[in-house]
Amino acid sequence: MKRCMLTVFAVMAVLAASVAYAGPYRISVSQFVEHPALDAVLKGFQDQLREKAVDVQYHIHNAQANMATANQIGHQIMGEKPDLILAIATPAAQACAQALKKAPHMRKTPLLFTAVTDPVGGGLVKDLKHPGANITGVSDMLPVDQHLLMVKTFLPGIKRMGFLYSAGEVNSKILVPLFKAEAAKLKFDIKEATISKSSDVYQAVKSLVGQVDAVFIPTDNTVVSALEAVIKVCTENKLPLFNADVDSVKRGAIAAMGFDYYQHGYQTGEMALHILHGADPATTQVEFQEKLQLHINAQAAEQMGVAIPAELLKRADHVYN
Amino acid sequence: MIQLKQFTKYFHRDGVDQVLALDGIDLGVQKGDFISIIGSNGAGKSTLLNGLAGTYAPDDGQILFGGKDIGQWPEHRRATFIGRVFQDPLMGTCGALTVEQNLALAKRRGKRRGFALGVKKEDRQLFEDRLKELGLGLENRLGDRVGLLSGGQRQALTMLMATVIPPQVLLLDEHTAALDPKTARQILDLTRKIIDDRHLTTLMVTHNMRIAIQMGNRLIMLHHGKIILDIKGEEKRSLTQEELVARFYDRQKKEDMLTDRMLLG
Amino acid sequence: MTWYAIIGALEQGLVYGIMVLGVYLTFRVLDFPDLTVDGSLPLGAAVSAVAITKGVDPFASILLAACAGFAAGMVTALLNTKLKILHLLASILTMIALYSINIRIMDGPNVSLLGASTVLDPFMAAGTAGYVVAPVMYGLLAVLITGGIVWFLHTELGQAMLATGDNPQMIRSLGVNTHHIIIIGVGLSNALVAVSGALVAQNQGASDVNMGIGTIIAGLASVILGETVFGSTGVTRTCIAVLLGSVLYRLAIAMALGLKLGNFAVTPSDLNLITALLVVLALMAPGIKRKFGGRAK
Repeated sequence: MKRCMLTVFAVMAVLAASVAYAGPYRISVSQFVEHPALDAVLKGFQDQLREKAVDVQYHIHNAQANMATANQIGHQIMGEKPDLILAIATPAAQACAQALKKAPHMRKTPLLFTAVTDPVGGGLVKDLKHPGANITGVSDMLPVDQHLLMVKTFLPGIKRMGFLYSAGEVNSKILVPLFKAEAAKLKFDIKEATISKSSDVYQAVKSLVGQVDAVFIPTDNTVVSALEAVIKVCTENKLPLFNADVDSVKRGAIAAMGFDYYQHGYQTGEMALHILHGADPATTQVEFQEKLQLHINAQAAEQMGVAIPAELLKRADHVYN
Repeated sequence: MIQLKQFTKYFHRDGVDQVLALDGIDLGVQKGDFISIIGSNGAGKSTLLNGLAGTYAPDDGQILFGGKDIGQWPEHRRATFIGRVFQDPLMGTCGALTVEQNLALAKRRGKRRGFALGVKKEDRQLFEDRLKELGLGLENRLGDRVGLLSGGQRQALTMLMATVIPPQVLLLDEHTAALDPKTARQILDLTRKIIDDRHLTTLMVTHNMRIAIQMGNRLIMLHHGKIILDIKGEEKRSLTQEELVARFYDRQKKEDMLTDRMLLG
Repeated sequence: MTWYAIIGALEQGLVYGIMVLGVYLTFRVLDFPDLTVDGSLPLGAAVSAVAITKGVDPFASILLAACAGFAAGMVTALLNTKLKILHLLASILTMIALYSINIRIMDGPNVSLLGASTVLDPFMAAGTAGYVVAPVMYGLLAVLITGGIVWFLHTELGQAMLATGDNPQMIRSLGVNTHHIIIIGVGLSNALVAVSGALVAQNQGASDVNMGIGTIIAGLASVILGETVFGSTGVTRTCIAVLLGSVLYRLAIAMALGLKLGNFAVTPSDLNLITALLVVLALMAPGIKRKFGGRAK
């Protein structure tokens, strides 16, 4: 009897322990660099999971824009043996994907990327609809057609638009042919101006004055960090400035049709939940951000000599004065 | 063998502080000559040696070797037939390498350096024998880093390295000036021995008039970039220090008189 | 710090160790501070990545990378020897130019190698786990290359190179064209760095134009750390020492990243400060040893 009781007790203890052990989900995060947009992504992700009352234990790493560190973080994550990996920005995703390849025990661990503009070009997935392995995620590819339509609505007679970006950022570089193609459809063309570091921005934007009817800046970290220089030149020369990053409108661009990166993280969190509850990353297609926001800066528009079309004013999610 | 024709060298040419270091020197060096070069500071002694070695190309004039004009030849090209020992005992050897590595480097003077092993087993015996001749015990220290040796030992090693492949011309630039008297004497004895044994054509710069008189078959005195005395053969053999000084002042006075005359005339 | 983190540091230490050998060659052997490496590391990565995506065998791509690195080093050396530009400045000029050249080579700032064939493939196919294969493979390569460099420095040419860095006047007076030696040396050094870059790109899955930033710092820190901890008497010992120094450096960084003192955690942005501190400590070490060694008597 005593032995029987002991056995039952032991079995129950083991069961209880295993149940307790199945506790919180372990998520390891690799963020490539500190940046307001990427920080917002992480916050959105965490808020989504918190709202759905999911218990998560996070290990968060930041590579501070150093590729060797991103690689090292990949190795560290191997040791953390998480249930899911979140990689924020392309270099972090690539480093994690590479680390996963080397660790057989991680073959089944899902890797979710976010804030990655070109998952296929970056080698993360074979196909957007059928990722095919354990990697999937949310892409922040700009809806180029919508951006250019917005610009054309502001300036119906536009003939040429300047595209200012950093030659060192792959997310910007891949946009160039897309922008050229879409602009051609809308009957205007694109003039590129590249920079290699933020101190080049002033010179580059000055080179566009008189050559173009408007200037467009994609979500390019290097250019955006020197945005004030661009705003100054554009305001002085009455050259309309448009953007893909809504934060820049507050700082002085006329308008942007962008996403809120907090929403981006939120959307990624939703996808993470699906996967944690059993969805297979191989068949979970890569998502694009659905919610776009239109921000307009009325004062900037006036300073740059542009009238705001009524329809856009009505649609706008936020108008700054 | 070597012919200097109107060899001229300026320092800071076209500048405010232009100095005429060598003023149209005409000098012929015969094979087998052992020339002592003396002169006051700034006379141009080291400049002359550097000019022979190729540290710079002459501003004017020619330097001929075996009839060929080598004025534009860079230093390392002339080093194929010129050996040098410097005033600084540290300058002639590589402190970071061992004694045998240094000697091995010297043994390849003028030859192509490729992927054969630097220090070859068969050379070790040669190195030992030559080092034994120095009488400094270095033959037992082949594997020691040269940086551990004293100044005198390094200078002796430099002498050996400059002559292990006998050069056509040996240039000695006050090579005992930085050594203590005892070591200086040892190095001078070594110098005499090596030059006699291998019949090397030598130019030796020295501040020491006694040595200049004792050693060599020819004595040249430089002053203000010009050769003012060139004594050889019997005349040199019977030369004394007093006579040398007297002849110097004689020339000096003549020169000074000339300039005074020009000033006052 | 987990076992994987240690393996990761070992792997990085070995793969960057080849670069450190290159830095040793210029910084110590030739006494030629060479900043070209910040540009030639991504150059090697770019050449290798582009070659692989065009179908070239990964091992062959590494040879191509080496040639590109050699060319870059030659440019710096020519700027210094023929145009008489100060070595530090010459190397900076080449380094800056390489940034643009690398973007041209990659036709963009980044080339992904995820899913492309790499030198690790033959071994991974055999079934061994990647995180074991990588350090072993890189370890073998690093040992081979170190052995090659040690052999080279004992040849006539290598000895002349050591002499050129230690006493150029002397070796010139023995008939060696020091300009040629510098060209060969700086070229060889950057070839090594480019090989390292090619391996890094294949290891981390991408070649990026910005991946070279800070290479010279990591290289110098590794050289100094290695010499201080493992000794630097003689060429053979020093070469092994700097390779181990590279591993030690990456281990130290990995440990620092895992360090948590209460609420204060070291973040990657502190890395530069940590590196500087490491180098200062390493340079102080002989002085400390002497001070306490003397007292013990």
